[in-house]
Amino acid sequence: MALLSLENVSKTFGGVMAVKSVSLQVEPGEVLGVMGPNGSGKTTLFNLVSGALVPNSGTIRFKGAPITGLPPHRICRQGIARTFQLVRPFLGLTARQNILVGLGYGCRPLSGSAAREKSEELLASVGLEGLGDRPASTLTAMDRKRLDLARALATSPDLLLLDEFMAGLNPQETSEAMGLIRRLQARGLTLVLVEHIVWALLELSQRIVVLSAGEKIAEGPPTAIARDPRVVEIYLGSIPFP
Amino acid sequence: MLWALLGLGAGFTAIPLFTESDYLLNLGVQLFLAVALAQSWNVLGGFTGQITLGHAAFFGLGALVTRTLWGNGVGILLAIIPGILVCIAFSLLIGGLAFRLRGDYFAIGTLALAEMLRIIVGNLLPGISTIPSTALTNYALLPRYYLGLALAALVVGVAAALARSRIGLGMQAIREDEAAAAASGVGVLGHKLLALVISTGLAGFAGGVFAYYHASYYPQYPFSPLWSFEAILMSFIGGVGTVHGPVLGALFYTILKEYLAVRLVEIHLLIFGTLFILIVLLLPGGLVEVWTRFRRLVHRGS
Repeated sequence: MALLSLENVSKTFGGVMAVKSVSLQVEPGEVLGVMGPNGSGKTTLFNLVSGALVPNSGTIRFKGAPITGLPPHRICRQGIARTFQLVRPFLGLTARQNILVGLGYGCRPLSGSAAREKSEELLASVGLEGLGDRPASTLTAMDRKRLDLARALATSPDLLLLDEFMAGLNPQETSEAMGLIRRLQARGLTLVLVEHIVWALLELSQRIVVLSAGEKIAEGPPTAIARDPRVVEIYLGSIPFP
Repeated sequence: MLWALLGLGAGFTAIPLFTESDYLLNLGVQLFLAVALAQSWNVLGGFTGQITLGHAAFFGLGALVTRTLWGNGVGILLAIIPGILVCIAFSLLIGGLAFRLRGDYFAIGTLALAEMLRIIVGNLLPGISTIPSTALTNYALLPRYYLGLALAALVVGVAAALARSRIGLGMQAIREDEAAAAASGVGVLGHKLLALVISTGLAGFAGGVFAYYHASYYPQYPFSPLWSFEAILMSFIGGVGTVHGPVLGALFYTILKEYLAVRLVEIHLLIFGTLFILIVLLLPGGLVEVWTRFRRLVHRGS
């Protein structure tokens, strides 16, 4: 059974169809990449799955049960976590407190010393050891991304949605970020990645879904996607051969 | 740091053993009311980040209910509880509606609601409310002092417990970023409503103590927006969103007001207004921040 499945999910904003009847499935343990140009509906898709937006039609199932229309905190507690395209750590709280929120309210709530121990472990796992007492507002952009990820992981998700995790990073930070994602993958976490950096996405994903103007136009393994003429066309435009 | 608050509480418990000065005891009651107003506002405005300008509505409502019952022969402790309950019920009634508003709109909306209540009460009960005559003949300051102290201790205790709890952390997460809090599993509306219930229930208790303390006042007086503004002022002066801040702010504000009001009469409001602006601009963490900065300096020096 698929861990997550979308059946004919649509979302309109005013007259604009941001997501048009998209169906897709995410299998347990796989890494699914979602790509597409700006405005193709990738982030909207994430917002629909995480409950920040409610679809106009269609059904979203998680572990077989419909979650369409549930509020975001309930979806989180069922096991779907997300990071944000523009990272949104709780700036006024310390790094540790950020993680304690996820630990206290996630799928398998922890409290007291168990939560504290786990928070240290999570800080270390994303490379923030020793920074637990720092206010999130004093962290660098890369460290804020790490914190956003650690907070999402703190909710003990079965499915993690990473929204442009590598946006705005320099090459060295990008390779660090890829290392982080690979480690999550190795731990058996199911991941859905939205990414603008196409080569990174092709390298990390086992399967790729391509969106264009809200519609799914292609789906398949990275090698096939990279050669798919429809995909090449939306990224490079159609080449007029004489 | 919690020891400082406990020490302060013990100190205030002991004061009447050493002095019978009416002046000091009166000042004490005013201070306790100030602490209760500031700290109860802080639970909703500081911890949860829902800046309400309508806090006075609940102070007034608590005072109105308690005073009415007490005036009709109900014992004061028994009369305070319905005051609290009415505040909680009213807050739940308006909460779902008010929380559809965000930020500035929430602030304005709560102010409008509170002003509506104040005007309604002013029109329905235009006469002055005087303490029952039996209570007036044997009016004693000491029970008011200790009831006020119990109120302040309760409010600070609730805030301290909240600050250490998971729910308190959830409230702070909402203050920082609602969408991110929800995505981390925090039920936003539920937490906001809980903060509102705690905040307004405690304000209602404070209103009850006010009704017990003041011999005569116009029923609409505790509904005055000034109470809301003072609560905000004290919270910000001391350190909004902290447990110690509103206590420190209330101490500072009550004593300075006492000093200035006698000497400068109306100008003291101007001084506090200026102080508020300066604090928000230059010291957003309030007086508590001065302390932490000082400690950091000492640590670095040693």
